[in-house]
Amino acid sequence: MNLPKSNDNGEGLVFNIQRFSIHDGPGIRTTVFMKGCPLNCHWCSNPESQDFFPNLMVRDMNCRQCGACEKICPEGAITLTREAGRKIERGKCSQCLVCIDACIYNSLNVCGKYMTVGEVLDEVLKDRAFYRNSGGGMTISGGEALLQWEFVMRLLRAGKRQELHTALDTSGYATWQTVEKLLPFVDLILWDIKHLDSREHKKMTGVGNHMILENIQKASKTKTIWLRMPLIAGFNDSDTHLAKLIDLAKEAAVEKISLLPYHEGGKSKCEQLGRTYPFPAGKAPNDERIESIKGMIEKAGMRVSIGV
Amino acid sequence: MVQIAQELKNNIASKAVRNVQRGYTEDEKMRGLFRSEIKLDLQRSRLMTESFKQSDGEAVVVRRAKALAHVLEHMDIFIRDWERIVGYQTSSPEGLFHPIDMNWRSVKRLVNSEAGKTLLDDAGRQELEELCAYWKGKCMSDRHQELFEGDLAKYWKYEGTFLWTHLSELGIPDYEALFKSGLNGRIKMAAERLAEIEQTIPPDYVDQKEFLRSVIIVLKAVINFAGRYASLAKEMAASEQDEEKKRRLEDVARTCERVPANPPRTFLEAVQFFYFIHLVRYLEYSTLGIGIRLDYLFGPFYEKDLQAGRITRDEALEILQLLWAKFLELGLVYSPLVTSVYGGVASLQAITLGGTDRAGNDVTNELTYLALEAARTMRTIEPSIALRVHDHTPDELLSKATDVIRTGLGYPSLFNDGALIPLLKKWGVPEEEANGYAVSGCVYMEIPGKNITRRVDGYFVLAKCLWWALHRGVDPKTGEQWGAKTADPANFASWEDVFAAYLEQVRFFTTKMAQVENTCRDLYAKYCPRPFYSAIVDGCIEKGKECKQWIYPSMVHDMTIVIGSTNVADSLAAIKKVVFEDRLVSLPELIEIMDNNWEGREDIRQACLNAPKYGNDDDYVDLIARDVHHGTEATMETVKDRFGFSKRGDGSAVSATYGLAVNTPATPDGRLDGEPFADSTLAPQPGMDRKGPTAVLNSCAKIDTLQTYNHLLNQKFMPQFLEGQMKPVFIDYLKTWREMKIPHIQFNVVDKQTLEDAQDRPEAYQDLIVRVAGYSAYFVELSKGLQDHIIDRTEHRLA
Repeated sequence: MNLPKSNDNGEGLVFNIQRFSIHDGPGIRTTVFMKGCPLNCHWCSNPESQDFFPNLMVRDMNCRQCGACEKICPEGAITLTREAGRKIERGKCSQCLVCIDACIYNSLNVCGKYMTVGEVLDEVLKDRAFYRNSGGGMTISGGEALLQWEFVMRLLRAGKRQELHTALDTSGYATWQTVEKLLPFVDLILWDIKHLDSREHKKMTGVGNHMILENIQKASKTKTIWLRMPLIAGFNDSDTHLAKLIDLAKEAAVEKISLLPYHEGGKSKCEQLGRTYPFPAGKAPNDERIESIKGMIEKAGMRVSIGV
Repeated sequence: MVQIAQELKNNIASKAVRNVQRGYTEDEKMRGLFRSEIKLDLQRSRLMTESFKQSDGEAVVVRRAKALAHVLEHMDIFIRDWERIVGYQTSSPEGLFHPIDMNWRSVKRLVNSEAGKTLLDDAGRQELEELCAYWKGKCMSDRHQELFEGDLAKYWKYEGTFLWTHLSELGIPDYEALFKSGLNGRIKMAAERLAEIEQTIPPDYVDQKEFLRSVIIVLKAVINFAGRYASLAKEMAASEQDEEKKRRLEDVARTCERVPANPPRTFLEAVQFFYFIHLVRYLEYSTLGIGIRLDYLFGPFYEKDLQAGRITRDEALEILQLLWAKFLELGLVYSPLVTSVYGGVASLQAITLGGTDRAGNDVTNELTYLALEAARTMRTIEPSIALRVHDHTPDELLSKATDVIRTGLGYPSLFNDGALIPLLKKWGVPEEEANGYAVSGCVYMEIPGKNITRRVDGYFVLAKCLWWALHRGVDPKTGEQWGAKTADPANFASWEDVFAAYLEQVRFFTTKMAQVENTCRDLYAKYCPRPFYSAIVDGCIEKGKECKQWIYPSMVHDMTIVIGSTNVADSLAAIKKVVFEDRLVSLPELIEIMDNNWEGREDIRQACLNAPKYGNDDDYVDLIARDVHHGTEATMETVKDRFGFSKRGDGSAVSATYGLAVNTPATPDGRLDGEPFADSTLAPQPGMDRKGPTAVLNSCAKIDTLQTYNHLLNQKFMPQFLEGQMKPVFIDYLKTWREMKIPHIQFNVVDKQTLEDAQDRPEAYQDLIVRVAGYSAYFVELSKGLQDHIIDRTEHRLA
């Protein structure tokens, strides 16, 4: 199901445009979240970003049991009973999404919208005055932005034409040929590292990390990079692993390291998508450990921030 | 220093009023209108009555001057241990000021009710009864009730569309001139003018003579009042054993001998001078929301003292803290209905910092920073700080201001010179005087020293005007034609037709308000002259005219606080979308559904709620909001005050967005019957702004200040956003706000969790301060409903 499909109109599939983003690069920014991701990280806090097609999101809390969705569903996937409330059989659902228009209570929503470069840019440019005063700009994130590289390239190029500061938030999982095409239009790369050992990486994300690490080496020759890493207890928070991270950071001459302690943000979204949360055992290191990690990186002479 | 601040606060009796009513509906009357230790002070009333009984037959202005002089001569005075700045509004620290010459009926009702029974004991109630007997037919509210007939009598009373009040008059004295001449100089000026009219014999010779004699009576009385404090201090010093206390008392004596008769020489003298003037203004007339440009006025005295080695920074800070304590103790009795609009208020005092001098140069000085430090260490609900921001405001000042905002006090609130000075110029204020503006109350702009007896003449519920437009001005319950007879909504073909009918209602009610106000202005000019206030503003003595006989020639006078503009805009957008575009229902059907408070038609309510809402940077509704604001102001401006100046709106909001909303039934924006309105003129409806704070500012910026009025905007931020590495980003956000020429912004920096916890455990949060409108209040003193309204405001989290 996760195969990229092209849109004939040259539109990109966007799942959110977040204004007043202040943690995705310098200053006040707008972050454009592209939908679809080739990785499948267990801890993913935005599981609605993974599929490369629009998803039905269900908020049962808002449901007033009016029955409009049951009536309109062509697959008979929705049933409403007094006892059990509304049930949606995800197996029967064809994601045709007609139920969304029928729902007036914002209980059924779509995640993902096809937009043109112009439409996205218009939204981004609305906060231009804030970017100018704060040294902010546009960040493109995901999902994995590189999956829709052609659209992203056009968006970045259009942004540069408007003299915006641009940042790309990526796992770096794409061929170098793809990454290379985008670089001329990117001022800063927020590089999301998960693990430096390929086997470990594959275990928790579904893919190895060779391509990612190769791309960092190459990109770092010309680009400013901030490394970001989700901090997950028992997975990537050991001293030996962090030492490797510091080595990589030094080698790639990154400006700073951001550590994002694991949180359960993806759990409620999995529920809305009708999925089981794949990482119930996930944990962040305790505060004390986080402090010591921070100290360790600082001691190595690197700038580090936690949760930012 | 923090310790001094805490000790001071422990000694202060707060007179913050609790909101006990919404409209005429009881909210939480059982808790009492004031804290239980607060007592209604009858001494001023008693002394005024004595004097009035003696002066029967004399000119009104002379009688009022003599009455004030009598109060100043005989009121009990006291000096407490910690005081270095002296003077009190009542005869004891717990005393509550009551202007019996204005109104006694509501106060008499109050002290006999559940909400106010602790204000007086039985003997006090008995005395009040006797005093009231004298003022029956003579106090101002009796006089206007007697005067009102026909429509005036009908529209004077609060019905839900506007609340007319006359409980205060504002204006800022000409401290710069007073500091140069002292009151002796003003007396000399009045004497010279008297001598002059003996020669010229102008047509209004008698009026002038009576007025100027009154001026001399009150000014001499004020000097004597200070002299009483000097004598008391000397007396106390003589028997004081503690050397430190003795020295302090001797200082007080020296200062009170010097000022306000003579020009102040030191920072302390200037502060004491100011405080006597401030106090006597209250004693002459009930006043709410006094403003002063603190750093501009006192900065030079402080800097001179510093250079001469007469004072240290810490000593100056202590003087400011003492001044803060004095500010905080001032209060006023309110009627329960008025608590709908002034929930949590003591006396709404605001000090202005920063901004420019008359030539347009930045005035920031050492005292600007010291005042911020006094605010930070004192953590009091009053005075609120209005910080004027312009292109040359130092970054350091924005940074220090951010630190104070971060503490959650709700101030400084920021005023944008780039938007407000042009607005003042449009109102007819010359540029150099506009450059020197100050703020009082929530967001009222004043020109210091000028004869502006500013009045808030009413709280005007715009959303109710829209409601009348949807009902042809007829109350569906009684069938009475109350508003304008506008066209039948069944014939409206577009949202623009609804808008036109709305404006017609605005014109109708503005006219009614103006008629009531113009009548009262004339009445107050005749029966309630203010010789003291006239003596301390520019031009009255020179002209030989009392302040109400002429005014500073500009529109910067009366204003009407407008409420619910966002709800009007959101309602019109919902009508446009749901009725005229999506055609889910006809307009008469929508009105019927709405009038049933949406019962059984939640589907239509949801459709209305889902229509575009102001505050999301969406032109669909923002341009309607712009039309609503610009159109409302243009319509109000067609109505004139008694001096021929246009009526206009004002964004102060106070707590009326909550308190008065109770009398507006459901509106087409999906709002339920009685549900609160958006909390200020520029604010989105709570919870409806979903695109973050930058989108809100973009929406605000579409409304042109020059075509409207001075607005108010609240935003709620998480504390983390104003500290550490985020602080510079917040300052950049403020700079963008400034560049966008949005006239005002202020922040509630406290998280939802804290507020909810404070609701559950009020005893642990006695000191928790929140921003209501242009003022801060103790959260636990507010009623549950108003607390919820503040909690519901959209919180801008870290993205």
